[in-house]
Amino acid sequence: MVRRAQPPLKAEPFASPLHDRRVAAWLGLALGVAFTICFVTGLISHLIQQPPSWFVWPARPAGLYRVTQGLHVATGIATVPLLLAKLWAVYPHLWTWPPVRSLAHAVERLSLVPLVAGSLFMLFSGVANITRWYPWKFSFTATHYWVAWITMGAIVAHVGAKASVTRDALRRRSREAREAPEAPARLPVAAEGLTRRGFLATTAAASGVLSLVTLGQTVRPLDRLGLLAPRRPKVGPQGLPVNKSAAGAKVLESARDPGYRLVVEGRVPNKLSFTLDQLRALPQHKATLPISCVEGWSSTADWSGVRVRDLLEMAGARPGVTVRVESLQAKGAYRSSKLNRLHAHDPDTLLALDLFDEPLHIDHGFPVRLIAPNRPGVLQTKWVHRLVVR
Amino acid sequence: MTAPPQPPAPREHGKLFWAGAAAGWAVMATGVVGLLSESAKTKPANAVRWVLGAAVAHDLLVAPAVILFGVLVARVVPAVARGIVQSALVVSAMVALFSYPFVRGFGRLASNPSILPRNYASGLAVVLAAIWAVAAAALAVRLRRTRVKRT
Repeated sequence: MVRRAQPPLKAEPFASPLHDRRVAAWLGLALGVAFTICFVTGLISHLIQQPPSWFVWPARPAGLYRVTQGLHVATGIATVPLLLAKLWAVYPHLWTWPPVRSLAHAVERLSLVPLVAGSLFMLFSGVANITRWYPWKFSFTATHYWVAWITMGAIVAHVGAKASVTRDALRRRSREAREAPEAPARLPVAAEGLTRRGFLATTAAASGVLSLVTLGQTVRPLDRLGLLAPRRPKVGPQGLPVNKSAAGAKVLESARDPGYRLVVEGRVPNKLSFTLDQLRALPQHKATLPISCVEGWSSTADWSGVRVRDLLEMAGARPGVTVRVESLQAKGAYRSSKLNRLHAHDPDTLLALDLFDEPLHIDHGFPVRLIAPNRPGVLQTKWVHRLVVR
Repeated sequence: MTAPPQPPAPREHGKLFWAGAAAGWAVMATGVVGLLSESAKTKPANAVRWVLGAAVAHDLLVAPAVILFGVLVARVVPAVARGIVQSALVVSAMVALFSYPFVRGFGRLASNPSILPRNYASGLAVVLAAIWAVAAAALAVRLRRTRVKRT
């Protein structure tokens, strides 16, 4: 018969079989994988938005960012039950007595503070952000990013501390299964409540339910199931969601100014200036590209407009230049964006004038917006009035 | 019930532990330095309050509340239904917790109706109803099996 390890306190207050090494080991393994996925995809998104000189994010495949960022948010959501279940499984250890046994034990326990606090913070702040709830004073992006490093460091330390225990707990299970194949999967406590296996299954079910009711924000066929999805891919002006409205960006007047000009300048021999009609008179190209938001929603749309590389050629720019795209929006972190050399010269990188064969809605960036393949939505600058070649 | 011979205690604080600790604390230090270097954005005093607050809220409020509620459920619910009810309660609680900012709609903006476009209170009700429908079906199957066994 299997006997579980005695919990460190008296058994009475923690009599549940779920405060268990093997449960903790399985959940720990799943959390390790999930947090690593979130960290890597988050790091990718960070590097795209604040690229160091060695990092050039490609323009192809066009839907790559949609996948990495969709994965980031979907994994984070699915991790919520994993983390809560894990904390439940190890909760008695919080009250271990004596609290510290040795220097190594002290180091190990100290790293649990950033581990537990950081993990909870990452998931809470992430979920709050996709619902655009900001009950704090700090900037979400910068703080979520740096606390991710702290949390990931704590995970590395924790893996070092727990690798052998985890290996042992998981290996022992399979050995027992081999030696006693007739042993019932259900423990005798089954009649009294959730078994260990039942608890893990319940946790997986909770992750599954949360995924099912949120994935519709990026996986179109699941839209109708997306009862708790923060966005619907077809809901918004012209059937496309909006992150920053024209009112929010305070461009309602400037974007409709009949004196509007698009200017191409910087390190080019010919400075260019176009009215909206002149832009429409240039060769127009179509592209079917997604808006892929950092918040995890995405939606594909049909765009048409002027190729950025055509404008660069007209201005006489040298091949391989980069371009800063500037908005009429006067303030805000996303009022301009940079096109690296790959994005600047991609045939699908457009200054779009039309969305689904109609002029852009002002909330989608009328008169002109940037749309390029494989790029976060916040870098698809709207209300564009200037390209600065560098 | 006899206890099986215990396997040798795993080495908890061997080389791997110290290697992990060194690497982990170095990565954590990177995060702390980064957080402080962008203090205009990260507002460290406020950020620390939310980070530690998350752990304190869980360890001193959420977990004890779950224990108390769990004891209550274990006393009130008959043994045959207990596992299923506990399972359904766990899933319901996690979904409800997740849905909180959706249902409250803190992020709604009059100028942008594409944010939080659904009725999340009724969405939550549908999800909870589905969870308990599955639980009821599982209970019905279990009751029928126990009855068949007895006869």
